[in-house]
Amino acid sequence: MANGTAKLAGLVFSRETFAKLTPGPFLQAHLQQPEPIRPNGRSLDAFRTPTIHTGSLSHSNGSAVVRLGDTAVVCGVRAEILLASDIPHPPSEDTSEDDLVERLGLLVPNALSYRVLSLMHTSNLIKPGDLRIQYTEPATEDDLPDDGPKIVTKAFWALYIDVLCIALDGNPFDAAWAAVIAALKSTRLPRAWWDPDREMILCSPLANETHGLRLDDIPVASTFAVFSTGSALKQRSEAESWVLADPDGFEEDVCSETVTAVVRSDGGGVESITRLEKSGGDAIDKAAMGRCVHMAQQRWREWQGVLHGG
Amino acid sequence: MGPDISHHPLHGADGSVTFSSKLCSILAAANGPVEVQRRDELPEEAAVEVNIRPVSGVSGPRERWLESVVAAVLRSVLHLHMHPRTLIQVTLQITKAPSSTLKGAVQDVALLPSLINASFLALADGGLPLRNTVAAVLLAVVSTGEVREEPSEKELVGCKSLHGLAYNNHGDLLLSESAGGFDLAEWERIADQAEETCRAAMAPLDEDGVVMEGTTSSGPWLRQELTDKAQAAVAWREAT
Repeated sequence: MANGTAKLAGLVFSRETFAKLTPGPFLQAHLQQPEPIRPNGRSLDAFRTPTIHTGSLSHSNGSAVVRLGDTAVVCGVRAEILLASDIPHPPSEDTSEDDLVERLGLLVPNALSYRVLSLMHTSNLIKPGDLRIQYTEPATEDDLPDDGPKIVTKAFWALYIDVLCIALDGNPFDAAWAAVIAALKSTRLPRAWWDPDREMILCSPLANETHGLRLDDIPVASTFAVFSTGSALKQRSEAESWVLADPDGFEEDVCSETVTAVVRSDGGGVESITRLEKSGGDAIDKAAMGRCVHMAQQRWREWQGVLHGG
Repeated sequence: MGPDISHHPLHGADGSVTFSSKLCSILAAANGPVEVQRRDELPEEAAVEVNIRPVSGVSGPRERWLESVVAAVLRSVLHLHMHPRTLIQVTLQITKAPSSTLKGAVQDVALLPSLINASFLALADGGLPLRNTVAAVLLAVVSTGEVREEPSEKELVGCKSLHGLAYNNHGDLLLSESAGGFDLAEWERIADQAEETCRAAMAPLDEDGVVMEGTTSSGPWLRQELTDKAQAAVAWREAT
């Protein structure tokens, strides 16, 4: 200071500037702490707490808004009648019950959600029995008296499922899937029957005659992002990686590798996996995959409380 | 007895291959590095674009999703930093797919290993710099509980679960897509078997062309393909 020059201020960035300029090193600086804590304040394996509101759309048969942190997804289910006589190529008698919903296309989602639709079919979530509108034909003279009454399916309920993301802060798939489940759980279908005189389906307007869908065991999706420092320019042994549960928007942008596990109950425990997806990198090995599935199974218990309570 | 592969069927593309496995056939073309559109340009690495055309009809949400999965695997196989601000484009035309009576997710998983193998061979044919070799395999747990490698369409109909996995030559898991009903122990068993199969596909050969480690029914088909390709490339030198 003797010659009168001011001391140069060190190059100091604010937290936000650091995150914006170099998101990768910013996240790495957080994760390299002895007790790794993510920039959003969560620990590595902490998911965001879900909140669910059902029945907020009054014109649909069922609806739900699911919020996971700053991600919010709204889902509406609308039921329409598909007459069996309108099906151009009726599936043969030997089509299994499980395949029927998919073959007839009774679930119609909007284009946002191919993975959601595919998962709905894989998990056989909806029982086709719930969607049938049946009619017991009166006995005629030709019938043998031993035969029971003849039941024919006159129509099906087709469910139009619309998923809309109203706020996005990472992990839309888990939120969308939960919204679909919650909306289907809240769906009430009116009592419908075949009127032989008018030859059409009639629906009862009475609220107390409606019935819901049977969703016994509910699959839950859990997504993980993997942050890895490995690159083609480094030795393979130098790479470090961290698994982040339920990534937010910032983490999703930095991480390329993701794991999604969909688990469901298998009788008593949560053993069964319906879908397991992993792509985008090489950091996850068999052991890490096992840890992800275990976390997904814990998350399943958490979701059951929210879905059944709400 | 590996898949049926023919190299360079397309003369306009940098690299191309037709790949036929038991279930599906794919015509793959790779171009790159080529000029990239402004909106896809990345300052530090090459952009990867995968286009999938289905057997019939136009591509829709399903193909968009398959494209994103294949692109994610190719990104960890390519040396992207060598060609910044360019594009590596892979186009996959499906010419034969498992029948449409199968469940949607089963069809998707059944396609993925072939899509990965076809696009990898197309990239290798196009001479693009690659970080590692990748092989993908399809495994099905059939109704009796047995695990079948490269199952037939009949076995897919009643299968309990279906698994598409890809491993590179270091034994890293690059892709795992599983659908159906299974538990973790079962998946781990399948991952072990898939790793063994993928390693066997690229197992090194000794001088007489005999496999040095591991043997499977299909043999080191990937290693064989790449060796043949390398030999064809230097054939002119031996001829002179």
